[in-house]
Order: sequence, then structure tokens, then C-alpha cells
Amino acid sequence: MSFWSLETIDRINDRVGRVVSLLVMGIIGITIWEVTLRYGFNRPTIWVHETSEHLFAISFLLGGAYTLSKGGHVRVDVLYLRLPPKKRAALDVYTSVFFFIFIGLLLYLGIGMAWESVSVLERSQTPWGPYIFHVILMVPVAAFLMLLQGIANLVRDWRRYRGEGR
Amino acid sequence: MSIELITLILFISLFALIFSGIPLAFALGSVSIIFTFIFLGTSSLYLLASRTSGAMFNYIMIAVPLFMFMANVLEKSGLADDLYHAFHIWMGPIRGGLAIGTVLICTAMAAMSGVSAAAVLTMGIIAVPAMIRRGYDKSIVLGSTMAGGALGQLIPPSVLMVVYGGMAGVSVGKMFMGGVFPGLLLSGLFILYIAIRCFFQKELGPALPKEEREKITWGMKFRALRAIILPTLLIISVLGSIFYGIATPTEAAAIGALGSVICGLIYRRLTWDLLRNACLNTLKSTCMVMWIMIGSLLFVSFYFGVGGADFVKETLVGLKVDRWVIILGMQLTIFFLGCLMDPAGIVLLCTPLYIPIIKALGFDPLWFGVLFIVNLEMSYLTPPFGYNLFYMKSIAPEGVTMADIYRSVTPFVLLQGAGLVLCMVFPELILWLPSIMVAK
Repeated sequence: MSFWSLETIDRINDRVGRVVSLLVMGIIGITIWEVTLRYGFNRPTIWVHETSEHLFAISFLLGGAYTLSKGGHVRVDVLYLRLPPKKRAALDVYTSVFFFIFIGLLLYLGIGMAWESVSVLERSQTPWGPYIFHVILMVPVAAFLMLLQGIANLVRDWRRYRGEGR
Repeated sequence: MSIELITLILFISLFALIFSGIPLAFALGSVSIIFTFIFLGTSSLYLLASRTSGAMFNYIMIAVPLFMFMANVLEKSGLADDLYHAFHIWMGPIRGGLAIGTVLICTAMAAMSGVSAAAVLTMGIIAVPAMIRRGYDKSIVLGSTMAGGALGQLIPPSVLMVVYGGMAGVSVGKMFMGGVFPGLLLSGLFILYIAIRCFFQKELGPALPKEEREKITWGMKFRALRAIILPTLLIISVLGSIFYGIATPTEAAAIGALGSVICGLIYRRLTWDLLRNACLNTLKSTCMVMWIMIGSLLFVSFYFGVGGADFVKETLVGLKVDRWVIILGMQLTIFFLGCLMDPAGIVLLCTPLYIPIIKALGFDPLWFGVLFIVNLEMSYLTPPFGYNLFYMKSIAPEGVTMADIYRSVTPFVLLQGAGLVLCMVFPELILWLPSIMVAK
């Protein structure tokens, strides 16, 4: 197994998914902290609300490619499953065009958006006013990971279509 | 090009893509992008970027992963085993009692978790084999477990209600309270049905044999009741804090998630592996929902950008039919989509299209939202795409075929339909509890 193989892409996204999946426990932790401070000590925080938004955004953006690699993006497969495996692979190859249009454009626009945000070190317009450029930066990163996974899936579909096994 | 034609081409392309089997999120996303490019031009594509941030900085939707995490942990916490034992002792002596007990446990689990999978998977593993061993009829066993499991989305907390609230701008707390009585109504209808059928056809759900009944002492009965302490505390802390306005739904979800972890600790089932798997499952389901949401926001942004909202509203209002006919039409659409599509996907797709119409017709979006979820209860049981059918098949004991599973749901889907009609005829079923809520 060389470094430049489809498995490398799977491994990267698996690793990223495993790491960002833990963020949900962080959200639970800080939210409990906020509720405790508010009722126990009458001292609500100003940072929990936005920090949980950021953790949430980072986790579902970066987890998108992980979900794709595990086949977790739900599809309507009533007709799809009636096709023989080979035709299914062919259909997957055709419809991947639409996937690449979506992800390609998200990547392109995401880079523009992130560039603007990072170059001014964008902050949010709230009393606390934390940095948000790093969250925006996750849009193109997520799109890039999705693109990699999409390419890996396409190669596999193509091989299945040509009957070359996995 | 006229808006009529755009609408037609847009929806035909969208459904063609959806049915060709590409994931819903990418079907919505790519159709919106291509249409935006053709009809609104390159400059409007920048909307895409700002729409994505609408999904990103969204406090309400954080409740989705938190409730999913809670359900994932509870499912493995061992709490359901104890509950089943208690109901076995208390309800076993009645005809059909174990099936009634299963519905009751599902109702309780629905009040602790916001998904349907948790109850179906745990009861499918614990209760289904136990009931079949005792000579219960397969149809009653499978049907009651799957129908009971679907209650998870109607009885608060509920992930679907969070998604609806997030899309429609309706208070999630009020949606939760609106779901309480419709949920109990359905649960009551299921129990009534099982009780009546098993009373007259005792071979469907035989009572425990005499010698086994005599082994159950009152001491055992009361000790078994300890099993309901933790669930009760959990339900009160989550739903109570929302009802009294102590916590936002997102905060209540975090409290519930912590509670589920504590339950796991008390039952000594909590391991690092369990937590890690709960996190991974949560991530997968959350990403699925959120990427569809991105696609859906893009879709709405294009369609409303070309004037679709006004067009749909004016067409339907101009139809000069009774507004209830339109509501019925919507319910039928939801039902048919429910046979084919993921329930969360249906909420994300239909809510933005339906809400302007509902408001124009003078209906309450809160009432419509709960009605929507009651309707989606059926989508968990209707083939070919019904989650609970798949869950059941994946864990059903040997000898249970897919045909058994399909057959078993019919009476329960009819009961759910009856519940839906009742909620339409008596809106108070939905609207009363939210109206007396302490929270704003």
C-alpha cells in the first residue's frame, strides 16, 4: 500500500472524523458549565453560546467527508437498489458529476470567503466578539476533504463498473 | 422564462436527481447551483457562501447532536433491560401485557430520547425474542415494537422537531410541548388496540402461565419499580427545564446528555469505547442532517430568489378551494414522501416551501409543525423506506422474515393515521400544553 492510494484518503478522513466527533462532548461540557454558573452562582457566561456554535460548525463541516466515506449521506434508493450492481456503479459514475459541481463550487467560493475572512482576522459582531475566521476557514477545508473522498469513491465506482473488483 | 416553467423544470430535475440515488444533500446543492447559475447569473452564486454560514452559526441546531448523543448512550446504558424486567413482572399476567408493556417502555424511552432508533433497537433485542418465546403472535410483537419506537420523534425531546423549529422559526420548546398529547394519544391507541385484540384472541398474546405468575411476589414487584426512578429523573430534568423556561432546548439537551452518561455510570456499562462509538454515530447522523440543511437553504435561496414563494402562495390561495383541502393535500404529499425518503430530509425539504403557505392560509405554524411530525410517525413504518423496518430486520430473531415485518405494521399505520386525523379535528390536542408553558 503506497502513500498515494485511495486508502490514504480513507485514512485521513477517518482520522479527521474521529477527532471532530469528540467535539460534541466539549459542547456538552461547556453548556453544563454555563447552566451551573447561571443557576448556581448567578454568573452567566458570555462565551459558551458562541463557542458551542463554533465547535458544532467545525464538527459537522469537517465530519462531512467522514460521513461520505461511511456512506452516511442518506439517499433515496428505491429505484437505485433495483439495478444490478454493474449498472449501479455506472449510474454512480454519471451522477458524480453533480456531486463535483456542488463540492467544486463550494471549494471555490469557500476559498474566496475564507480569504476575505482570514485577511482581516474576522471577529463576530457580538459583545464578546470572538474570532470567527478559523470557523469560516473550515468551509474550504471541508470542501477539499469532501472532494478527495469523492474522487476516491469515483475511482472505486469506475473500477466496479469495469469489473475490476475493489 | 416564466416562474411556472422554472418551477416545473426545477422540481422535475430535483426529483430526477433524488431518485437516481445521489445523496439528498448533493442533489439539493447541485440543482440549486446549476439553476442559480443559469437563471440568476454568476454574481448570485456568492449567495451560496452566505447561506452556508446560515447553517454554521445556528444555536438551535446544536440540540440535534446533543439529543442524538443522549440516545446513543442511553441505548447502551442497560436502563432498558431493567425497565423491561419491571414491566414483565407487572404486566405479564395480563393478556397481551408484554406487548402493552413494550409500548409503555417505548413511550418512556421516547420521553428520554429524540430519535426512534434507540427504542426499536433496545426493545428489538430485549423484548421481541422474549415475547416470541412466550407464544406471542409475531405481528403483535413486531408491530408494537416498531410503532412504539416511532414515538421517539413525537414525544419530546425530538430531533425532527428541532430541525422543524430551526427551519420554520418556531420555538422548539413549544414544539416539544405540542408533541406531548399527540404522542400520548398514539401510545394510548396502540395499547387499546393490543389490549382489545389480545382479550378476544388470547392466542395472540397469552398471559404468563399460572405457575410463573405465582412465583412473582409483591416484594419482587416493588423492587422492580426501582427501574423507573432514573428514567423519571431524566425526563423531569430535560422536559421540566424546558417547560419552566429554566433552560433552552439546547441546554436541556446537554443536561440530558450528561444524565445519560450518569445512567451509564450507575449501571456500570460506561466504557471509553461506548462513548467513542456514541460520538461517531452522532457525528454521522448530524453531518447527514446538516449537509442536507445546507442543500436545502441553497435550494430555498434560489427558488425564493426567482419569486417562487409568492408564486406558490398565490397559486394555492387562488385555487379557491377550502384551506383544509390544501392542508390535506400537504399531508398526503408528506405521507407519500415518507414512504420513500428520510424523515429529516422531508422536514428540511418541505418546511421552507410549506411555511409561507401555512401562514398565508391563517394556520398556526406550531400546530402544523406538530401535525407534520405526527404524519412522519408513519414514515418510520411505511415500506419501502421505513427506518424502523430496517432496524427491526437487522436485529430480529431467526424466523422473522421481511414479509412478517411488513405485515405487522398495517394496523399500527392505520392507528397513526387515525391519530393524525384527531389532531387535525381537535387542534387543542397540540396547542393546549404550549399555551400554558411558563417559558416565553
